Amino acid sequence: MSPERDAPPAVGVSVPRTDGYAKVTGAAEYAADVRPPGRWLWAKVLRSPLPHARIVRIDATRARALPGVHAVLTGADLAGHLLGRRIKDAPVLARDVVRFVGDPLAAVAADDEETAERAAALIDVEYEELPAVYDPQEAMGPGAPLLHPGVAAYEGLPHPLDGPTNRFVRNEWGAGDVDAGLAGADVVVENTFTTAQMHQAYMEPNSCLVALDDEERVQVWASSKIPYAAKAHAAYGIGVPPERIRLLPVTIGGDFGAKGQARYVPLCYFLAEASGRPVRMVCDYTEEFMAANPRHPAVLRVRTGVMRDGTIVAHEADIVFDSGAYAGFLPGGFLPGARAATGPYRIPNARITASHVYTNNVPRGYMRGPGRIQAVFSIESQMDCVAEAIGMDPLTLRAKNLVRDGDATGVGDRFHHVRGVETLEAAAAASGYGARKAPHVGRGIALTKQEAGGGITHASVTLGPDGSVVLSTPIFEQGSGTYTLLRQVVAESLGLAPERVRVEVWDTDAVENDTGISGDRGTRLGTQAAHGASGAAEREVCKLAAELLGWPEERLRVAGDDVVRDDTGERAPWASLLARTGQPAVGTADVEDDVDSGLTAFTVQVAEVSVDVETGRVRLLRLTSAHDTGRIVNPQGHQGQIDGGVVQGVGYGMMEELHSEQGRVSDLSFADYKVPTIADIPELTTVLLEPGTGFGPLNVKSIGETANGPTAAAIANAVFDAVGVRVRDLPVTAERVRRALAASAAGGR
Amino acid sequence: MRPAKTMKIELKVNGKRERREVPPSRTLLELVREDLGLTGTKAYCHSGICGACTVLLDGAAVSSCSLLAAQADGAEVTTIEGLAADGALHPIQQAFIDHFGFQCGYCTPGMVLLTKALLDEVPEPTREDIVRYMGGNICRCTGYAGILASVEAAAKALSTKD
Repeated sequence: MSPERDAPPAVGVSVPRTDGYAKVTGAAEYAADVRPPGRWLWAKVLRSPLPHARIVRIDATRARALPGVHAVLTGADLAGHLLGRRIKDAPVLARDVVRFVGDPLAAVAADDEETAERAAALIDVEYEELPAVYDPQEAMGPGAPLLHPGVAAYEGLPHPLDGPTNRFVRNEWGAGDVDAGLAGADVVVENTFTTAQMHQAYMEPNSCLVALDDEERVQVWASSKIPYAAKAHAAYGIGVPPERIRLLPVTIGGDFGAKGQARYVPLCYFLAEASGRPVRMVCDYTEEFMAANPRHPAVLRVRTGVMRDGTIVAHEADIVFDSGAYAGFLPGGFLPGARAATGPYRIPNARITASHVYTNNVPRGYMRGPGRIQAVFSIESQMDCVAEAIGMDPLTLRAKNLVRDGDATGVGDRFHHVRGVETLEAAAAASGYGARKAPHVGRGIALTKQEAGGGITHASVTLGPDGSVVLSTPIFEQGSGTYTLLRQVVAESLGLAPERVRVEVWDTDAVENDTGISGDRGTRLGTQAAHGASGAAEREVCKLAAELLGWPEERLRVAGDDVVRDDTGERAPWASLLARTGQPAVGTADVEDDVDSGLTAFTVQVAEVSVDVETGRVRLLRLTSAHDTGRIVNPQGHQGQIDGGVVQGVGYGMMEELHSEQGRVSDLSFADYKVPTIADIPELTTVLLEPGTGFGPLNVKSIGETANGPTAAAIANAVFDAVGVRVRDLPVTAERVRRALAASAAGGR
Repeated sequence: MRPAKTMKIELKVNGKRERREVPPSRTLLELVREDLGLTGTKAYCHSGICGACTVLLDGAAVSSCSLLAAQADGAEVTTIEGLAADGALHPIQQAFIDHFGFQCGYCTPGMVLLTKALLDEVPEPTREDIVRYMGGNICRCTGYAGILASVEAAAKALSTKD
């Protein structure tokens, strides 16, 4: 960096967030807050009360007759309109068959929400109940009711299917010869783990407002953090070219994987078309719990072959994901994170199979590390079981088998600049892993690695003749602080104070495509775009300075408010140069970075718990989270991602399970579905390794999805360390621990 | 169905007198968001559990989704829009900015107003006081660490100001 900087560094400091003022004053505008001019209507959906049924007859006469009702639609009106982020299998409104409790089959637009709700209740439906299946194992078996008899013909299947089946995707990953590896092992350890259905529990409900303008454009305000995918998704559901649709930026109230789609946009479009008015839909909490797209519950059967010296020679994971009634809410059509089921360990013989299965449960989607979270719970619990079986410390077993530079994992991935062992050691040191413990206190260790996703993004930086600096971005931020990072990168590149940089968000007309926020890609891509656009804008003003002042262009750069000439030290304010032309200087950057970088980021956590052996109650005393980071752009923002991730991990590990009974979600409020509150947080210790090798000119790594990964397994492992019982099913509740203690006392395990 | 009768209510919202005719079933949340257009108050659970809709009713933090507008008749209501005096942020708001006490921001209006009620009642709260008082409002993003730091900083700022 130049000694002539006009501002202190903008990267590496906790610059306040761009959205702070709006968010603490209530001015931030979420989709449900947008007030279009004129009158708009409220939409309400009629949902199936049955898990699987044929719609024999549907009669909306009474609903249509209700004063204040402007439009009523049923499945027959929207025949053939399907939704699907990849696999197109979810009708906008069910026509012949409903497949889960909560499946939308009719919709109403009315003057107010109450009237819409009353009208929906006046729609008469006659159903013929069909046999249902709620267990994915049963659903794969012979004679199980088929949810989608026509699945083999569905558009978007990741792999072709031979014929009707409930198992719509089966992935297989691996290397070597697992059977031979297991046969040659000194010890084989076998376990079955299960993980619970978890709700993303974003605080802002799914909301959208759709208005059709005079130019046949579809204006959309929707809580969706991947607006370009949402645009395509909505266009497909409506049956219009994507160019007709324009998503406008809104503030998004949390996401955690749930809000990449545009599920109710087509429905509101058709209601708007039928009524001639803008239509708004805001889901209520009952709908959110009953009929959104929560995290997949999973059954994970694992077998590990190990030598007496701790060398793992084979690992097999057979995973069954219950995807519920539709696959359409899986962006990739399956859970790619299941590849993490062998962990970041050097395993010559491995096989992972991951079955994604239709059942008559609520359709599932993605949540923070889709498939990976479930997989990590299995491998990291299993590592401790293996350690126990051969009498080795779990930390030693991990250190022995963790990949180093160039080693292949069980699925054949290789990385460079690997710092797994360093991160492990840092976590152990900071947590006092080996220190003495009181009775019934235990420490458990668990780890994961995560690669930042690649993709496409753009940015432009506009320097104005009035001295203004505007960074424009297509990203719709979901709350993680990306806009602030972009601002910091521009400020740093130009040598300006961060507050000088205004962030402007484009609507979806601006560029052709943008990958959006997901899969830990925001920082990797966004910082490159902001940096590139700043550099391009700088070159523009330098060119202008060369023209106007006769300075040699190659000696010029921007430092704060000036163009500076390196050889003479002469300076000229760029704003006054631009004022002479009356034109701004605009720099743009189009980033396409989808290469497999060979970089990964490790997270190692140590949970310290105490267990009440009478009640089974587990208290999480302390959670240490060690991270293999790159350069940290905003330390407080970065810490907030870790804190939030860990506490979600605590929820997954100890509290959260969205129960279903006979296909019916039975936890329909926050009174039944408990998420962590301020009273549930442990003492949290964070360890950050010295910045290692990261992405792009800023040398960054991802953080968002890294911190929640190993928490649940660390807690289960700590419980084992404390009282010697293994809980194989999430969440680790008092009931489960007590049952395990009782079984152990009775002589079983 | 017989048309619902309406009720006349009068209350002060952010210092401004409001006279309204509302159906008896109108909640305070609907009155604030839909009738008065004060959308800073957030709706989610509609059952008094999540705290996103927190407002101050005569200084006490309440879930506006679980009160009828009629129950606020004659009362003084403060929403998030009423906290910053003439555009100058309240020290609690400033503390939430300074200490990253928010991410997505959806719970923030409720958290800020709950903090106001807490610090009016207990100007120098212990960590335990904060946890007990604020245990009813849910945040899904921050893991609460930033919120705790913000509340503690706000308490400090307010006590040194006095």
